[in-house]
Amino acid sequence: MQSTQQKHTPVSANAIELTGIAKQFPGVVANDSINLSVAEGEIHAICGENGAGKSTLMKILYGMLAPDEGTIRVNGEKAVLNSPTDAIALGIGMVHQHFMLADHLTVLENVIIGAEPMRSLGRIDFTAGRDHFRKISKAYGLDVEPDDFVDDLDIGQRQRVEIIKVLYRGANILILDEPTAVLVPQEVEELFQNIRELKAAGCTVLFIAHKLNEILEIADVITVLRQARLVGTVTPSEVTAKELAEMMIGPKFSTQRPILRSVVGKAEPRNTAAALPVESGETVLGGENGPLDGNERLHRRRVEGGETVLTVENLRLVDESRVVVDSVNLTVHRGEIVGIAGVEGNGQSELIEAILGTRQIASGGIFLLDQNITHTSVRHRREAGLGCIPQDRHREGLLLSSPLWENTALGHQTEAPYSKWKLLSPTNMRSRAQEVCKKFDVRSSGVDNTAHVLSGGNQQKLIVGREMIAEPEMLIAAHPTRGIDVGAQSAVWNEILKAKSWGLATLLVSADLEELIGLSDMLLVMLRGRFVARLNPARLTSRELGAYMTGAAIHAKSNC
Amino acid sequence: MLKRIRLLTTILVFVLLTATWTACNGDTTEDTDGSNGNDNDSNVDNSEAAISVGVVYDVTGKGDQSFNDAAAAGIERAENELNIEYTELTPNKDGSDRAELLQLAADSHDLVVAVGFLYEPFVVDAATENQDVQFGVVDTPMLDFESDPSGQPYGDNISGLVFTEHEGSFLVGAAAALKSQTGTIGFIGGVANAGGLIEKFQAGYEAGALAVDPEITIFANYITEAPDSTGWQAPDRAQEIALSMYENGADIIYHAAGGSGLGLFAAAKKHSETVGSKVWAIGVDSDQYHTVDPEVQDYVLTSMLKRVDVAIFELVKSTIEDNTEPGAITYDLAVEGVDYSTSGGFIDDIVEQLESLKAQIVAGDIDVPTVPNS
Amino acid sequence: MLTASAPLGAVGLAVAFSSLVLIISGSNPIEAYRDMLGHAGKLEVQVDILNRVTPLYLSGIAASIGFRVNLFNIGVEGQYILAFLVAAHVGSLLTLPPVLHVTLILLVAMTVGAALSGLAGVLKVIRGVHEVISTIMLNAIAISGLVAWLVVEWQADGGTRRTGGRVGTEPIADSGLLPDLNGFLEMFTRDLGQGRQLESMLLIAVAVGVIYHFLVNRTVFGFDLRAAGVNPTAAHVGGVPPKRTIVTAMLISGGVAGLVGMPELMSTGYFPSNPVLNLGFTGIAVALLGRNHTVGMFFGALIFAFLDKSSSILQITSSATREIVVIMQGLIVLAVVVAYQVVAQIRKRQEAAMAMLNQLT
Repeated sequence: MQSTQQKHTPVSANAIELTGIAKQFPGVVANDSINLSVAEGEIHAICGENGAGKSTLMKILYGMLAPDEGTIRVNGEKAVLNSPTDAIALGIGMVHQHFMLADHLTVLENVIIGAEPMRSLGRIDFTAGRDHFRKISKAYGLDVEPDDFVDDLDIGQRQRVEIIKVLYRGANILILDEPTAVLVPQEVEELFQNIRELKAAGCTVLFIAHKLNEILEIADVITVLRQARLVGTVTPSEVTAKELAEMMIGPKFSTQRPILRSVVGKAEPRNTAAALPVESGETVLGGENGPLDGNERLHRRRVEGGETVLTVENLRLVDESRVVVDSVNLTVHRGEIVGIAGVEGNGQSELIEAILGTRQIASGGIFLLDQNITHTSVRHRREAGLGCIPQDRHREGLLLSSPLWENTALGHQTEAPYSKWKLLSPTNMRSRAQEVCKKFDVRSSGVDNTAHVLSGGNQQKLIVGREMIAEPEMLIAAHPTRGIDVGAQSAVWNEILKAKSWGLATLLVSADLEELIGLSDMLLVMLRGRFVARLNPARLTSRELGAYMTGAAIHAKSNC
Repeated sequence: MLKRIRLLTTILVFVLLTATWTACNGDTTEDTDGSNGNDNDSNVDNSEAAISVGVVYDVTGKGDQSFNDAAAAGIERAENELNIEYTELTPNKDGSDRAELLQLAADSHDLVVAVGFLYEPFVVDAATENQDVQFGVVDTPMLDFESDPSGQPYGDNISGLVFTEHEGSFLVGAAAALKSQTGTIGFIGGVANAGGLIEKFQAGYEAGALAVDPEITIFANYITEAPDSTGWQAPDRAQEIALSMYENGADIIYHAAGGSGLGLFAAAKKHSETVGSKVWAIGVDSDQYHTVDPEVQDYVLTSMLKRVDVAIFELVKSTIEDNTEPGAITYDLAVEGVDYSTSGGFIDDIVEQLESLKAQIVAGDIDVPTVPNS
Repeated sequence: MLTASAPLGAVGLAVAFSSLVLIISGSNPIEAYRDMLGHAGKLEVQVDILNRVTPLYLSGIAASIGFRVNLFNIGVEGQYILAFLVAAHVGSLLTLPPVLHVTLILLVAMTVGAALSGLAGVLKVIRGVHEVISTIMLNAIAISGLVAWLVVEWQADGGTRRTGGRVGTEPIADSGLLPDLNGFLEMFTRDLGQGRQLESMLLIAVAVGVIYHFLVNRTVFGFDLRAAGVNPTAAHVGGVPPKRTIVTAMLISGGVAGLVGMPELMSTGYFPSNPVLNLGFTGIAVALLGRNHTVGMFFGALIFAFLDKSSSILQITSSATREIVVIMQGLIVLAVVVAYQVVAQIRKRQEAAMAMLNQLT
């Protein structure tokens, strides 16, 4: 599978033709003589680990970076792209992973901003804009109301707005940067439908992705990058997900056995869902439920009669007079992983903030082992054995401009070996950091590097490492593998499972449904601040889980 | 790696600094001589000059249209008439380098004139160190009251130039009371509690006004209080205060607020034009009829003259003649060290009365207070 | 290497621009610099410079403690002036054994500074008032309000001038003053001219610098402080109590600010009607110049002090206008900001490259 076979031979003129593209940053080769042809009307997936050079290549194509060597041809014409403006002029548009929309403007305003149709006297011609908008939205099946406020839209709709924005500017070559990362399965399905319609209308789509099953589902052609080089271009019919993964990360992959289905292949649909919709969403869940049965995976070795580690009682959280979490009860036992599923913004973040202590609670109680920690400080909770892998590692997990040895101490700076009698021990901090890097495979050239320098995966491994090495009683893992490459992903999963086998109690919040299903012993679905379903992950597909998350399954099965 | 380089740099810098330090100190005597030589070089033309004078201004410096400018006028006159050389120095904004300026001035001049009483302690030090240099300080008697309650000069080479501002203020106060139509007058001081200096102006002014008209109403206000010394340079705030005094019935206002006084003159013009009846302002230190903008000239009733220029000129002269007096040299009404101006002719009708008051003060029949009653 | 190159480059840049300004204004820059350096070569002037360094350095440290946690304590100005006055008054009320008396005065000064600054911290934490606004307001209240009022209440001899032309509060007994370091200095050099004292507060300032360094780099609190400065959210998640850290930082900053007026008090023994002002604001520049680093700020204070002391010699030799000194100070601060920005860019690029390297390996 390693051979660089030019499998697809373009029939029509290539929409994009990159020849010998090379880009070097001081001391690092980011792209090394990459040749890439994308036929018109093709859905072309570009995959590879973080740092393989995908983003650099796409930035070059979108005019954000200038290549050191090589030529770019767009629709057969040689092009010099000095800025995104040049790229847009040639019909190339990019939808970034992080949406760039103004919440308090309408969809239409967001779309036409910067490309406003003008009437005389500098007035914006909204009618013309709206007409054009509707034309695009209809032609490509991108269903969004132009006069809705972006604020009110869900993630999938926002993504559609971004796509319309690009099309509105006349793009017929679209670059989508990890578009599925933020979507639930239903939304992914809709997105794929949109992409197919774009293709049918003659657009060319470049699709950057991590998730192999998705790539195999949507792409016509797949290009794999590894270590700045193009290692192969294949079609989905030629490869299995496993082979594709091997192409991406090389043979070392096979020794690090991946755990989850998302890595080894598509989830085989299960026949029954062990869904127990909670009546009116208020039923107390937790400890009184016995051990889950039907657990077929080996690593699911539940510590029998496990002691209760975390108890959340009747928790209610209010954010500026809006109730964001209500009547939440939760118990996590030793050696148990409790997963919380839910579309983002349904109270999961607030819940973990409350457990961690960074958010004030309105009422209820939180207990860690035999301690009431409802009103104690974050520091006290951490010292009492609460570990946390925060959901946004840059914002909440790291001091990016500080060295690694300070980052490994963060959250545990009051504890041995980092400090004694309130005095830091830089020596211990360093040796502990080295230990973390070694044990948890954090790759860097030294602990004096700043956290900036690490790749996303290594940053995450560092966070996981520093929490695990402190041997917590209870771990909050929020989106522990978001946005990291498969190698790091499997490492993080391994660590979580290893710690579980020692008896660590884990509360897992994730948007990656495969991850939730694959890791959890029990799944709770959160909707509008309440737990609405308790599910047995052993008999659940991500599709079914997605249905619970959006509330569809609950509406179907109960009357709330 | 990085750490080692950083350490290396630190050591290097340290070594360099130590080296410079030692080298500099080794050369000190030579250096001082050298710079003195330099200074003599730069003052080469003064081979013909009788003496060289270092004038050390106060923080506000030259250009305040008041106190420091009066000092400058004195030294300029001395240059013209007495064939001298002079250097002008101004301290940092925060006045943190007064001592060094005096020292430097003493290094290369025969006479050092310090403008402002704040220089007193520094002059005592510098004068003890430089016995061959004459020192004069404006606005302080330069007397040591510690060893002798009646006051002894700190040294033979130290003189203090003091003015009886309260006496001059008494006369303009009397003028204000005589000219006032409304029976209400005002006083604006620059900075209160700055050694009681400005309070002296206020005391004399009020006493003079009351001597003429015991029923008179006097508003008195200060722009700022020590240690906030922005009151010397705040014409906008002076203008506000003046306007409110005018609006409350005052028709003549006297200021002792340095550069802020310009705000008073502007207010006088503004109020006169809006209301239609003329109000007046009284200037201070120099004859402000001649220094202000011609537009507001007609509103300057008179000025309390404090002849810093005369005092400095006389000091230079006595230094050349080698007959300086140590200790306080008082400039009072008798020697016209303080006075009132008649420029503009607005007070010609009351000059007689004022002269009679002046004579009484000189004769000691009227004792003018230096501390305000209120 | 990069770390050292930024401040050096900044000074170089500032010198280059100043030279340009000098040439434009019709002066010979080489002559001006020669005069300035020659002047600073004299022992007496070096003593003056060090005496100026002391309050600037303390003020810089006070500001930098706030900067560490992204707090902009503009209130150092008001804090040190009020602390100066209250300490002068309390110190004059009693006589104690020397060490005790001095300690008491310093403690009073630190307490007053800390109280004023802590108030701004509490306002921020409880009411969300931005510290820039509250400290500016507190400056006004302290300087134009409290100090102006108290200085009259506490002034000696009804506010008239005492011997030596001194106006101000009742003088502190000798037991409350620190002896100068002349004897110590003269052991290594030569006799100082009269009226020149190397103030012992220099030693206290250096000690404060060392403690500051230790506090920031070697204590859990310092770690919390830096973490909250680099990334407040991550620090909070990492157990750093955000409110307590802010208030504590403000208290310490104010405590150090309280010492800024002490060099003057410890040598003169009273609060004058014209204390040296603006040290609080200059301290911000010193902290910027020294990048909040103990040694860096000392050099920053040294540069500022050197330039301050140069203005006098320029007036004597008239090789340049004295305003060039202020221009140079401004240019250095500007150049430092620019130079560090450039270095940060370079470092970012290097880090990006390293990041890529790390991802590839």
